[in-house]
Amino acid sequence: MSEAVKPKSLDIKTLGKRLLTDYSYLVSFILIVAIAVGVNPNFFRWRNVSNIFLQSATSTGLIALGMTMVICAGQIDISVGAQVAIISGFGIEVLNATQSIWLMLLFCLVFGTFIGTFNGLLVAKGRMPAMIATLAVQTSCRAIINHFGQGGPFTVAGGIATEPYYESFRQVANGSLDILGYRLPYPMILFIVMALLFGLIMQRTKLGKHIYAIGSNEVSAGLAGVNVDATKVAVFSITGLMCGLTAWVYSSRLMAVASANAGNLFEMDAIAAVAIGGTAMSGGRGKVIGSFLGVLMFKIISNTLVAAKVPTFLTGAISGGIIIIAVLLQSMRGRRK
Amino acid sequence: MLTEMRGIVMDFGPVRAVDHVDLTVEPGEIHGLLGENGAGKSTLMNVLAGTFVPKAGDIRLNGQTVRMHNARTAMRHGIRFIHQELNLCQDLKVFENMYLAQELKTKGGLLDKQRMADNAKKVFERMRVAIDPWETVENLQTADKQLVEIARALLFECDLIIMDEPTSALSGQEIDNLFAIMRQLKQQGVSFIYISHKMPEIFEICETYTVLRDGKFVSTGNIQDVTQEQITQMMTGKALQDDTFDSRVSSAKEQVALEARDLSGDGFAHVSFALRAGEILAVTGLQSSGREQLADALFGVMPHTGEILVQGKPVKGSVRSFMRRGVAMVPRNRKERGIHNDLNILDNLSMGYFNTRMKEKIISAAKEKARYLRQKQALRIRADNPKNVISSLSGGNQQKVILGRWLETDANVLLFDNPTQGIDVGSKFEIYNLMLALAKEGKAILCFSAEFPEILKVADRCVVMYKGSISAVLDRSQMTEESLMHHSTGSVRENQHV
Repeated sequence: MSEAVKPKSLDIKTLGKRLLTDYSYLVSFILIVAIAVGVNPNFFRWRNVSNIFLQSATSTGLIALGMTMVICAGQIDISVGAQVAIISGFGIEVLNATQSIWLMLLFCLVFGTFIGTFNGLLVAKGRMPAMIATLAVQTSCRAIINHFGQGGPFTVAGGIATEPYYESFRQVANGSLDILGYRLPYPMILFIVMALLFGLIMQRTKLGKHIYAIGSNEVSAGLAGVNVDATKVAVFSITGLMCGLTAWVYSSRLMAVASANAGNLFEMDAIAAVAIGGTAMSGGRGKVIGSFLGVLMFKIISNTLVAAKVPTFLTGAISGGIIIIAVLLQSMRGRRK
Repeated sequence: MLTEMRGIVMDFGPVRAVDHVDLTVEPGEIHGLLGENGAGKSTLMNVLAGTFVPKAGDIRLNGQTVRMHNARTAMRHGIRFIHQELNLCQDLKVFENMYLAQELKTKGGLLDKQRMADNAKKVFERMRVAIDPWETVENLQTADKQLVEIARALLFECDLIIMDEPTSALSGQEIDNLFAIMRQLKQQGVSFIYISHKMPEIFEICETYTVLRDGKFVSTGNIQDVTQEQITQMMTGKALQDDTFDSRVSSAKEQVALEARDLSGDGFAHVSFALRAGEILAVTGLQSSGREQLADALFGVMPHTGEILVQGKPVKGSVRSFMRRGVAMVPRNRKERGIHNDLNILDNLSMGYFNTRMKEKIISAAKEKARYLRQKQALRIRADNPKNVISSLSGGNQQKVILGRWLETDANVLLFDNPTQGIDVGSKFEIYNLMLALAKEGKAILCFSAEFPEILKVADRCVVMYKGSISAVLDRSQMTEESLMHHSTGSVRENQHV
């Protein structure tokens, strides 16, 4: 009803309110880093910092970027963990057969995009609720890879470390670039570059605007000429592509992927990172930077809990509590509207 | 039951929807409640049925003042309200809907489904309709759903039944059956308040009437003492004419920009018309006249048969194919179909441009800003920071942003579907002036509206729809509120074969 609020007012109250609502992810991030520093005085050591990035990038970091798109579009994808499992398993087979890490990458990307597109088609053309469609795909993928792995691991070169490509594949996740004396692991670079790319797509391309538009109001979007179905398929395909990329770096870090628990709970971690990063679960609002920090926050938390010698089995409870607080902040924002 | 409402006042925020209205209904009387859209009829009835608590005024039943707290109190006093919009639970069975919240139980405390279904069946037999009480409501036709709604009211003993446009989806035979039941109940002393826009029905079934206009009481009396024309005049009042719009000259050119040939679809049939460049053609009609569906069909939202030609060439397919051919639509129900609540003003404004004219891969912030500033100036959008979400703007300014969205697509055919819905008078006039200016530039404008004063201001010609087909095409010289109401209520056509 009222005219818009004055921009750039240096009103402390408005600023505080915006910090608690629009930038809640920033507040949480700073808070968590502060706690982490308190518990672990060595937190800011480069080795620790780059390790946090490495762990993020080789687990749910890249997936959370895709998940941001999916959730902003008002959808959900719970098949990502199972996708990583099946792509990694078969990917390692491809690597062993072809002895080429690049052919393996190609396979991972194509296979991931294929699964993602299949998800998207079920949702967009099959009019299935995303939760159900991706649940079915999750179950199927997990079953298939378990069948081929017989519950056991897929191992690079059958464990023969003397194979020539073994070391080059290991370098994918464990190699690094040295810049100004800082050691930057390849996955860390990949994660940062991808986050920038996703941020650009969401803020500065037609696709990004369409994603926000259908998440906010599908009917309005259709009437404004947005291809609603194609946009839905796109977000799932891109997430599949990210699962493929993750599978590649993930298997490189582990060098052996257990079919039964590879990528276990990745979907929950990715969704939680997106949620804690301030993206509205109902769609239409959210930022890639939020999810980026959200992923890091989770790694920092688990890192800190280990340093604080919290019993391993209890760490989940603490992470759960943090998710509740972060999302409560968002729902307070919703209520004020 | 003698029902009296005295000095009822009802406010919605700053808007006074009902202003000191009186209404009296005698026992065994069928009373017609008349007025244009927004005259306050439904609000007044919601007060009587306990949905709204009035700011002032009394309700007396058989001489006793009664306080209606909620719908349940009203039901206890024997008042039943058959709503205009269907309030049925789609996934429940017919009889479950009819007994919702008043379920019959067996001695053991379980639902007595058989008895409920049997009672429902009896009511349907009285109404002479074949609806299976065990059917799920979702599977019923719209007309049958409306009949279920009516049957629900007849299921229970009651003294007053309020019917808000009960026949909008019914056929002639079903209406006759309904009227027969009403007359039968009337013999038993049941009163009715009957709201309808269809004049022939009012004159057939009602004995007395009350007319409201702009929330105020206008007149009451016996239906025999008035003519349809008199009622229409009372409903519309003296149309205030605005000089600037009165004296305007049509800018219509020879060239046809949009043509519909024998269009049929869900809710409308055999619609043909031609819209010329520079012309403003209005399409009007009451609820369920097929106006909304026709608007959707003309923008590829709704499937149809027949042909749509833009600049002489047929167009088929989705919204995007229409947009590519230079058609734009400002949709009705801005909140549900126009704006993106979560998006800021810039993105809301540019959404059409992104989908039609944008060639580059990366959106340029500077160009987005330039588009906004251009439209902000042209449409006089009042907003401080374009990065604020669109919901921070007033309704009128939101609508201007949506208009701007379509002007940025450079369309030549503009469909305006209820463009001034829920916006303030000032913005309304700005939008009217804009439409005239666009027509002068040579744009072809099709304006769907149910507001007659609006049509009189802007339209060169007006297509009037009734029950899904065109009942009249009026020139500017033939357009008056009376003639528009006359043709929208089907007075002419129905009289011919009564």
